[in-house]
Amino acid sequence: MKLGRLLPVAALAGVCGACAVGRDPERLKPAASFLAPSLGHPLGCGEAGVDLLALVSHAVLRGVLLAVVVAALGLLVGAPLGAGAAMARGRFERAVDRACDLVQAFPSFLLALAVLSAVRTPSRVHLAVVFSLTAWAPFARLALAQTRILRSAGFVEAARALGQGRARVLVRHILPNSLGVLAVQLGSTAGAIVVSEAALSFVGLGPRGGVSLGSVLEQGVACMLFAPWVMAVGAVAVMVTSGVLILAGRAIE
Amino acid sequence: MRGEAGSRRASSRLRAVAAVTARAVEAALVVVLMASLVFFALRLLPGDPARLLLGDEAAPAEVEALHRKLGLDRPLYVQYAHFLRGLGSLDFGESLRHPGASAGAQVREAIGPTTALAATSVGLAAVLGIGAALLAAGPFLGARRKWVERVAVAVAATPLLSFAPLLTYALAAKLRVAPLPGDPDAGAGGLLFAGGLLSLPLAAQVARVGRAALAEVEHAPFLAVARAKGNPLGRTWLVHALPPSLGPVMAVVASQLGALLGGAVVLERLFERPGLGTLILEAYAARDLPVLEASIVAAGALFVVVQTLAAALHAAIDPRVRR
Repeated sequence: MKLGRLLPVAALAGVCGACAVGRDPERLKPAASFLAPSLGHPLGCGEAGVDLLALVSHAVLRGVLLAVVVAALGLLVGAPLGAGAAMARGRFERAVDRACDLVQAFPSFLLALAVLSAVRTPSRVHLAVVFSLTAWAPFARLALAQTRILRSAGFVEAARALGQGRARVLVRHILPNSLGVLAVQLGSTAGAIVVSEAALSFVGLGPRGGVSLGSVLEQGVACMLFAPWVMAVGAVAVMVTSGVLILAGRAIE
Repeated sequence: MRGEAGSRRASSRLRAVAAVTARAVEAALVVVLMASLVFFALRLLPGDPARLLLGDEAAPAEVEALHRKLGLDRPLYVQYAHFLRGLGSLDFGESLRHPGASAGAQVREAIGPTTALAATSVGLAAVLGIGAALLAAGPFLGARRKWVERVAVAVAATPLLSFAPLLTYALAAKLRVAPLPGDPDAGAGGLLFAGGLLSLPLAAQVARVGRAALAEVEHAPFLAVARAKGNPLGRTWLVHALPPSLGPVMAVVASQLGALLGGAVVLERLFERPGLGTLILEAYAARDLPVLEASIVAAGALFVVVQTLAAALHAAIDPRVRR
């Protein structure tokens, strides 16, 4: 356990929480449009005078919440599926393996578009559904690989020989021994989802005019030549948030 | 004797044909599944496509006319059969935004720039990544080779979405050493810059996997033989160590193609370059259903074809994955 690696994520959540309280990311002050960073607006202002500190802190909190919920869901579905497939062996194991291959290599952007094309303005709930469609695959793949190694380990054979059923062996012996790698994957999946959410709203598939890191970046690119800090704030926020989540996953290594 | 060898060769050729056919069938199946997903998402999920297109205040007569034009007034299975027939003949109907222009023609126009961008970045990533892997695994840099790996890890962890706008601002807007890739006059320079940005995450992955693969063969007996024969250092690594390490590199490139396609869409949006991503996003924003369906299917097909080619190439250069 390296709990120190949880510090950055706690710090990020704390700072964003503290900054988010009392600041409304949807309050616009047209007079303050594209104001450079100052004491009143530590990160400056964006399009139509939105306070970037408010926008970014709310966007980070919502993005992290979405990412953690979806990644946890992926873990809950994927890990038992993969481990169960490896315990069952045979055709089921091969099918799950191949399905993971297909889902992991598939362009998630296209999948998102195919699903989101049916709604007028995608909300975060829609995005969560889209990400959940693929989030289970890396966990299933890892649990499968881990179980393949563990299923012939001495303590697993001993538990089987003592008459424990497959399900019990899976829950009591195999999954606890896979938690380390699964936790690392939890972090990198959450980090990837933060980036995907930002990318989708950057290209216009997010909540319209919404509170998202992608819309900060979109504003920033449009005003790159006269207000470069908007883009810098968005880019650094995406990088820091995803990096901190990846690091947090390694806390239980 | 000869007859036996001949029949063995024939049966191995038969197996190769069967493997290729299986691959092709699987690829076609993925494209059809993808297309069906778009089709049903648009028709079964709540929300009438015609209402999405025309807005809530549209007159009922207008909505009905559009229904008829898109075929939405017919039963679902008829629509699906029609859609599949269109898929087979690559005819997706007429664009709603540009009446008279077929959706297929728009897609054909857009697929070129995206293919060029993706091909450029895969080429650059291979060169950069394999070069970095050789530096990180070989004895060329001495103790400093650890830094190559550290840089690769850092680059792999940095999202394209973050560094592409920052690098564009620094290199194209401030220092003016790179052309803006969205500029129609930028030409090859713009393509090279955009391809370079897109290649960085892939190059970092290639460098990490390539380094690991090279480190594995470093102590293999065949490499010791190559050294003992008096091969110079460069030849030992390039001719003897590199080829057996290319298999994992091919595999990682194939697994990253989906991410590459997503990255290409982000870059096309960032630079306002024409391409498949731009077409998809424009069709999405305008609810141009025929073009949206055609362009998503085209992007999926492009991805599947390239991935199948990568797998075939992998099998061709690495006999260990051929079964």
